[in-house]
Amino acid sequence: MKRFWKEPLVHFLLLALAIFAAYGVLGPTSAVRPDSIVVTAPKIEQMAAVFAKTWQRPPTAEELKGLIDDFVKEEIYTREALALGLDKDDTVIRRRLRQKMEFMNDAGVDALVPTDAELEAYLKAHAAAFAVDPMTAFQQVFLNPQQHGDRVEQDAAAILAALQATPPADAATLGDATLLPSELPLTGKPTISQTFGQEFADALDKVAPDQWRGPIMSGYGLHFVHISKREAGRMPALSEVRDAVAREWTNAKRTELDEARFNELLKRYQVTIENLSTSSAVQ
Amino acid sequence: MTASSFRLFGVALFMGTAISVSAFAQESPPSSDIGIMDPAASAHAFPKRGFSPYAGRHYPTRVLWGDEHVHTGWSADAGAFGATLGPEEALRFARGEEVMSSLGEPAKLSRPLDWAAITDHSDAAGVIFEIRDGNPNLMADPLAKRWHDMMAAGQGGVAASEMIIAQSNNKISAVLKDPRLALTIWEKNTSIMEKYNEPGRFTAFIGYEWTSNAGGGNNLHRNVIYRDGKAKADQVLPMTTFDSENPEDLWKWMAKWEAKTGGSLLAIPHNGNLSNGKMFALNTFEGNPLTREWAETRARWEPMYEVTQIKGDGETHPSLSPSDEFANFEKWDQANLAGVPKKPGMLEHEYARQALEEGLRLEQTLGVNPFKFGLVSGTDTHTGLTTAEEDNFFGKHTGVEPSAHRWEHDVVKTSQVIVKSWQMAAAGYTGVWATENTRESIWDALKRKEAYSTTGPRMTVRFFGGWDFDAKDAQTRMPAEAGYAKGVPMGGDLQHAPDGKVPTFLVAALKDPLSGNLDRIQIIKGWVDAKGAVQEKVYDVAWSGDRKPGADGKLPLVGDTVDVANANWTNTIGAPELITAWKDPDFDPALRAFYYSRVIEIPTPRWTAYDQKRFNIKMDAKVPMTVTERAYTSPIWYTP
Repeated sequence: MKRFWKEPLVHFLLLALAIFAAYGVLGPTSAVRPDSIVVTAPKIEQMAAVFAKTWQRPPTAEELKGLIDDFVKEEIYTREALALGLDKDDTVIRRRLRQKMEFMNDAGVDALVPTDAELEAYLKAHAAAFAVDPMTAFQQVFLNPQQHGDRVEQDAAAILAALQATPPADAATLGDATLLPSELPLTGKPTISQTFGQEFADALDKVAPDQWRGPIMSGYGLHFVHISKREAGRMPALSEVRDAVAREWTNAKRTELDEARFNELLKRYQVTIENLSTSSAVQ
Repeated sequence: MTASSFRLFGVALFMGTAISVSAFAQESPPSSDIGIMDPAASAHAFPKRGFSPYAGRHYPTRVLWGDEHVHTGWSADAGAFGATLGPEEALRFARGEEVMSSLGEPAKLSRPLDWAAITDHSDAAGVIFEIRDGNPNLMADPLAKRWHDMMAAGQGGVAASEMIIAQSNNKISAVLKDPRLALTIWEKNTSIMEKYNEPGRFTAFIGYEWTSNAGGGNNLHRNVIYRDGKAKADQVLPMTTFDSENPEDLWKWMAKWEAKTGGSLLAIPHNGNLSNGKMFALNTFEGNPLTREWAETRARWEPMYEVTQIKGDGETHPSLSPSDEFANFEKWDQANLAGVPKKPGMLEHEYARQALEEGLRLEQTLGVNPFKFGLVSGTDTHTGLTTAEEDNFFGKHTGVEPSAHRWEHDVVKTSQVIVKSWQMAAAGYTGVWATENTRESIWDALKRKEAYSTTGPRMTVRFFGGWDFDAKDAQTRMPAEAGYAKGVPMGGDLQHAPDGKVPTFLVAALKDPLSGNLDRIQIIKGWVDAKGAVQEKVYDVAWSGDRKPGADGKLPLVGDTVDVANANWTNTIGAPELITAWKDPDFDPALRAFYYSRVIEIPTPRWTAYDQKRFNIKMDAKVPMTVTERAYTSPIWYTP
């Protein structure tokens, strides 16, 4: 028996036991053990802070207990779910993860500050997006064909004659009442089109200024128009559109970065795409 | 006060004085501390109306079009369906730019909108990076600088790759105490709203949807719309439904928000039709009797109701308004949002018209009308694309973006209820009468209810109520002038009928240049009769052509020029504009009432007809192919 206790192997085994025992007593806290949950003080403070930021007051003791209990429940369910592999093939989780990857990218992009030179170059390269629309200021007299029936051509001619006479008749007394505005100050073509329709806006472009002319057509009826001012479209100076150009430049950079980064990632993967069988219906 | 408003004030004061002076002419002239006022001598202080009819005008003259209900891929359910567009793309689309849909289809609106509210679900607006150690800005900076330098040196791809590896290995494990350090989706959202908010050109509202589906699918959703910008909006985290599903708690949250920030909020409920009777229930969320305080609170926070959207039109129901031949329009009336079937007694508490009527009755008993709301609409799109036009409809979510078979997918499917996606309505937008295109101006118009709902087309509608409108007002060149001078606009109030007078209304509508002509304008009156029962009546007040009401009092239908096979129609029927002054023929000054206007277009092709043609398919016979688009104005209330 004494020989047993003198065996080196026994000594090694006893030593090992001693080390394990000591580790169990003195080793890292229970956070290492997979079935223990620790709700740390900082985490509780954070939950209380989020509550306060929503409700403008700190949580009561009961509310805080509710938050903590709920967090523990959430932690348990999360661990169990992960153990069961429930995070796999979950569309919502996958999209959230993708979103977080995309947000990480954003942080870098938002830190970029473009120089004036970069913005000028961008403005030049994308002139069409920042161009100031051509603008027209005009008055209009409306003729509702439904109210004139067969006489519409005669009445139109009479109105035009009255408007072109010297002195011209008061436009406000001629034509038919309408909700359409009888006068617009310098207005861009898109806005004119929104009010009168594209047909009218296009026809207006061709009308010569400073004289009553027409009638031109819209989806509402006939219009006599008097263009008082025209401003050609132009390219704005950077100072006029700096914010918009900076915004677009940043967006372009973000897309660039997204693609560059994704391409880098793609290099690390081998992608195989199977053939869709030709007999299945294509949507 | 601006010069022009001072002048107007001066004119009003002068006129007021002139009237009182002439009234007193037989008695004694008005006196004051400095003697007797001599109109002739003081006339110079009150300039007469100037020559230009446009100077001094300070009422809204242009309708601003928008959608108060847009979801993007940042809403978990939208993302789950496949939406990859975020608030940025959604706003660019609303502003008129061409954008790639989540399925890769280029998409563009026929015309830009003037404003939009991106209302992603607040449940997803929380913390995304729980950074528990130190100041994350410190952490971010060195990386950002290094990355920026590498980008500048043309090594962007390598930089990006490094960043991913670095961050994936970076175990962030310290303590977070201050929520300001938590990077939240909400803050990212508000930043994007600020980027695209361009006063005078486009308004991007900050907002969110509080998505309460209480009791297993009873839709009590509200959109919270902020008058203010990021600085105020970031101070408080949005309320989620993890916090509570009770709308009264949302109102409490809103009150605390206003108290903390000094800003202003309003909430817009929607889809009463999917609430199984809960939206306008006659008890509180917890089942208690209604109180005056509850009514005051609801009326204060919810001045508007979203009456029409993709998931069905909520104006009225054919079983509740059996004599209204336009009531059976885009109805989703089988169940709630979770597919729980409706039971008898629920419909009565789901639709706007009945709620407005009930509100009058409640005002009698509670002293306050909790359902005194104006009408707005939005799409509730979950694709990020706010499309409400029949020929450009991208559907409710990415699973039903345009494709040959989208019409027959299931939107809701349980053992008892199936809702097919052909039942989606391509609706709606809100037209706001605001003086300028800014957050403050549009929000203020929503608060005072000077806005109206349409099922998609952008018709211009004016609706005024007063005691003295007559046929001459309908013939003037500036009906709005008469409207604001002699009455109140939509959303307003008339009180205490002067002796012998009845409410008169001036209503005018101009078609959307891209849509169908107008068939008719109606005024819908709701009131509480002498016995305390609610009543309603629909009056046809203006219509195209020379139709005459039949023996049954009904105006003949306008006709139908829709060519379904070609998804086309002609504007040979109907009228581009209608205007009239109307007087209530059945008025009793002792009874509470409301009046709102409904404008109806001639039939035009429905989005299903466009799909049928574009994809060269044939849908089931029961799928509707035409639609009669309409506008609903906010009401004008009469109180005895």
